[in-house]
Amino acid sequence: MPTLLTLLLLLTLVGCREPAPPTPTPAPDAPRLRLAVDPDPAAVGDAALLITLTTFDGQPIDGAQITVRGDMNHAGMQPVLSGGAESENGVYRVPFRWTMGGDWIVTITAVLPDGRQIVKTVDLAVRS
Amino acid sequence: MIDVLRLPLIGRILKHRRGRLALQVPFLLIALLLIYDGFTGTPLAAQNLATIVPWVHFRGFAILVLLLAGNLFCMGCPFTLPRTLAKRLSLSGRRFPRLLRGKWLSIGALLLLFFLYEWLDLWASPALTAWVIVAYFAASFVLEAAFSESAFCKYVCPLGAFNFVYSTAAPTRIGVHDADVCKSCVGRECLNGSYSPQPIILIDQIGVDGAPTKAHIHNKTGVPGCGTLLFAPQIQSNLDCTLCLDCVRACPHDNVGLFTRAPGAELTQPDAWHKRYDLSFLIIGLAFMGLLNAFGMIPPVYALMSDLIDALGLRALGWSGLALEGIALLTIFAGGGVVLPALLTFSAASAARALTRTTHRDSLRAALTAFAPAFVPIGAGFWLAHYSFHLWIGFFTIVPAFQAFLLDHRIGILGQPNWLLGGEPNLTLVGLLQTLALLGGFIGSLSVASRIALRLYRRGSFLGLLPWALLLLALMLVGLWVFGQPMEMRGALFD
Ligand code: SF4
Ligand code: SF4
Ligand SMILES: [Cu+2]
Repeated sequence: MPTLLTLLLLLTLVGCREPAPPTPTPAPDAPRLRLAVDPDPAAVGDAALLITLTTFDGQPIDGAQITVRGDMNHAGMQPVLSGGAESENGVYRVPFRWTMGGDWIVTITAVLPDGRQIVKTVDLAVRS
Repeated sequence: MIDVLRLPLIGRILKHRRGRLALQVPFLLIALLLIYDGFTGTPLAAQNLATIVPWVHFRGFAILVLLLAGNLFCMGCPFTLPRTLAKRLSLSGRRFPRLLRGKWLSIGALLLLFFLYEWLDLWASPALTAWVIVAYFAASFVLEAAFSESAFCKYVCPLGAFNFVYSTAAPTRIGVHDADVCKSCVGRECLNGSYSPQPIILIDQIGVDGAPTKAHIHNKTGVPGCGTLLFAPQIQSNLDCTLCLDCVRACPHDNVGLFTRAPGAELTQPDAWHKRYDLSFLIIGLAFMGLLNAFGMIPPVYALMSDLIDALGLRALGWSGLALEGIALLTIFAGGGVVLPALLTFSAASAARALTRTTHRDSLRAALTAFAPAFVPIGAGFWLAHYSFHLWIGFFTIVPAFQAFLLDHRIGILGQPNWLLGGEPNLTLVGLLQTLALLGGFIGSLSVASRIALRLYRRGSFLGLLPWALLLLALMLVGLWVFGQPMEMRGALFD
């Protein structure tokens, strides 16, 4: 009986989980975001993420709000959060720290001066 | 010796007819929650409860609780809950096939689980982890429905096998208060169950006023007997005991208790364990798997896999990276989890026999199985060092993940997740504790081995101990090397 109740309870939960926002297909004139790491290849310790923002035709975009979140692809490690860097010629140098060797998933969110938002995730391997 | 079940409050709760349920229902709810989040939540393992709870918290607490208290995880195991349902459906009530009634299936299941864990990166995938939980429920239900005893727990479940082995180091064990009561016991309810369709003649104890002080009731409200077929007055070991306490509830004489003892007391007790190869290789194999599982997390494993693939000339086949990785891992598991333990322990046993000139007296099997208990402490040390590491560095990650889960369902009572909760873990301290766990395990193993050698070889005990001590030392040194490497959390070798 408790089992049944729980199942019912969970089924109602399934009903109310917020649906994930649909991934928009990038418009042809959407801005571009590229990620480079310093040092390259990435290794455990202090580092910097070089994020380049350009318009679709290659003009640098300055003045965007950048936030970065690095998760390991496995459970059990704290994420690394960073962001808020000044840019020069569309290149944002975000201070970062790789806390463990292994596979990372970096999620970059950029809010452009015109209010548009770009989210990009990049997988990369970090050496110990 | 204290009978935990006669302690004031806790004893009452544990012995209550629904006492086990009180532990199982919360565990069941958690399991269902994990399955749900695993299938519907974020695919990011670091933020999903389905990957955090089993691989960080469950594993860490499992080994800690086993060593500190006993097999509480089997006691609370939700996979056996469908058992009651399955039992009702069960028609045949056949016993498990005789050929499979040993630990070989458990050993295979353990190897399979660790292999899949490594190969498919289970802890990087919430959905796959949820499938593993579903598979557990399904397998336990099917086996329970098909056979009369708790076949899944006793012969198959890899988690159960792990718990059985390391609960032998626990400070508690089921036993009886008065062996004489058992000698004159008619029903043997602890084994047979207190419900019997046939009327059994029982003499109830008559009180001073002429009425029975306690009456025996045989009806459907009775309790099943031991699911893994242990007989309380004969129990010497925690092996196969799921701590379900059915025996305690079934005994009409209130004779069964959960007694405290010196931790690991049974490891040096002469006839606590059957001298069987399957059992011995479960214990020895688990110690090796403890090393292997940790080895799977350090950089040299990737180099080794790469070398193996080259050496076997597999790249020419043009197979996918996943297939190549699978073959390399299979080779490592077969080597390190099967061939190496068998080879090394057979060698140690033969050497000990030759050195002590007992080749004619002892069979190789007797010489090998006698030392199996010595692999419990060192194995426990490996698992403790490894899983407490993950527990330590990932302990707080469950809090923001749970907050995020609730927010996902528009429940804001716990507030916004703070993903940096707990701060950065102190890795130097963890490293120190790991070293302590390894050394403690090694010393424990050495002392168990020396007591076994003394019993077995008397005056020749030093020579009889030597090969085993060297093997244990080698294992510990490999352990120190493995745990001295930086842990990595890497997934696929080739993408
Ligand atoms: S433990 Fe209880 S039921 Fe089992 S044999 Fe002894 S007295 Fe009988
Ligand atoms: S019934 Fe069997 S498995 Fe359950 S507590 Fe008693 S001895 Fe252990
Ligand atoms: Cu690990």
